[in-house]
Amino acid sequence: MHIAEGFLPPAHAIGWTVAAAPFVVHGARAVVREVRENPESTLLLGAAGAFTFVLSAIKLPSVTGSSSHPTGTGAGAILFRPPVMALLGTVVLLFQALLLAHGGLTTLGANAFSMAIVGPWAGYGAYRLTRGLGGGLLPGVFAGMAVADLATYVTTSLQLALAFPDASSGFAGAAAKFLGVFAITQIPLAIGEGLLGVLLFRVLTVNARPELERLGVLKS
Amino acid sequence: MTGLAIDDAAWSSAWRRRSPGDKLLLCLGLTVCALALPAWPGSLLVGLTAVVLALGPARVPARTFGRAVQLPLAFIVVGALTAVVEVGAGGLGWAPDAGARAGSLVGHAVAGSGAVLLLATTTPMSDLLPALRRLRVPEAVVEVASVVYRLLFVLLESLRTIREAQTARMGYSSLRRSYRSSGILAAAVLTRSWDRARRMQEGLAGRGMETGLQVLPEVLPSSRAFLAASVLGLAGIVAVSVALR
Repeated sequence: MHIAEGFLPPAHAIGWTVAAAPFVVHGARAVVREVRENPESTLLLGAAGAFTFVLSAIKLPSVTGSSSHPTGTGAGAILFRPPVMALLGTVVLLFQALLLAHGGLTTLGANAFSMAIVGPWAGYGAYRLTRGLGGGLLPGVFAGMAVADLATYVTTSLQLALAFPDASSGFAGAAAKFLGVFAITQIPLAIGEGLLGVLLFRVLTVNARPELERLGVLKS
Repeated sequence: MTGLAIDDAAWSSAWRRRSPGDKLLLCLGLTVCALALPAWPGSLLVGLTAVVLALGPARVPARTFGRAVQLPLAFIVVGALTAVVEVGAGGLGWAPDAGARAGSLVGHAVAGSGAVLLLATTTPMSDLLPALRRLRVPEAVVEVASVVYRLLFVLLESLRTIREAQTARMGYSSLRRSYRSSGILAAAVLTRSWDRARRMQEGLAGRGMETGLQVLPEVLPSSRAFLAASVLGLAGIVAVSVALR
């Protein structure tokens, strides 16, 4: 769920850009360090970013009859860790704004905060927690990808509620409105993305086991 | 043809050979105007300017521009309507100034989207990425972004081919099959992206390029007339908006 260009008031657009900046800079430093130590990582990281972009082009059948697009940031966080996803997610959001007209430039900070920072961190947390509690890889992936999607949707709704508080019930009423309206598409999408993740990782454990071991997703 | 309509339009635009810096000044100026000026008449002026410039001198196909502007409309309309609904003790109702507020929100968003689209449909990403270097974005980050841009078209082509084959084999004939096919599709695209990256790296290493993908940047000279017209046009939009406020 991308906030469209021009939708946020200027102060909010600037505020969310400032809030997202430290995470993106941290991610950029992690990428610079990684590329300095292993120059071949440039191509692998580029491939990860391109995959995240392309994942958003996969139409996911929805139980409501329509189709939606996964965010892909949950899978990215599990495979490449949240700090790297903060940068890669922001790059992908910039590309989506300029190549697909999804999102915008002044709303890039707000979208990066929800989709490239909160989503991946929440998703990665859910993935680690599920695995830590004894759940296997696939339940962990389901939890990670579904929570990443849900956290993105909740954050975007709260960002909109902060920007447009309800005249009589304030922030709480506005949050209930935005959460309620977008729940119709976003909750089925989160479940769908979790299921897609299970199917994706089930295929990867068979066809790309060495890569998953190298990334630390599976023990060698 | 790259397969993304906006990118195709950018490569074939009449403004393709204009300096990216010139276009950035104009389009970012319009974007800021759309955000900061009052919706009436600021958003209207920005929106009209973006459409006239795109369809006129930049020669962007009207169909491509029109379809791209429509893409964020669902979010804009649903978001604006939700923002002007009031939650009171008696349930839901329209806020007293609902029409004006919704109009203002839609105006700002559509005008801003038009301004960003003017940039997107006239400037390929490969022209914009070198501008990041001048903004002191680390070289490694610009290189990763460049690889993302180059690889995504290869992967989109793979995605289309595999999905076509899956569809021909009834891969999307039911909800269950659709999910299964989508999972296999995502896995195939990911493994292909790793394979591509590995093969590219081996190819570059074989040519002795181990520290970076240095290429000669294309120099597109800046036009004083274009810059002057942009600044005058933006100043005009600001002046008219403030005067008619």
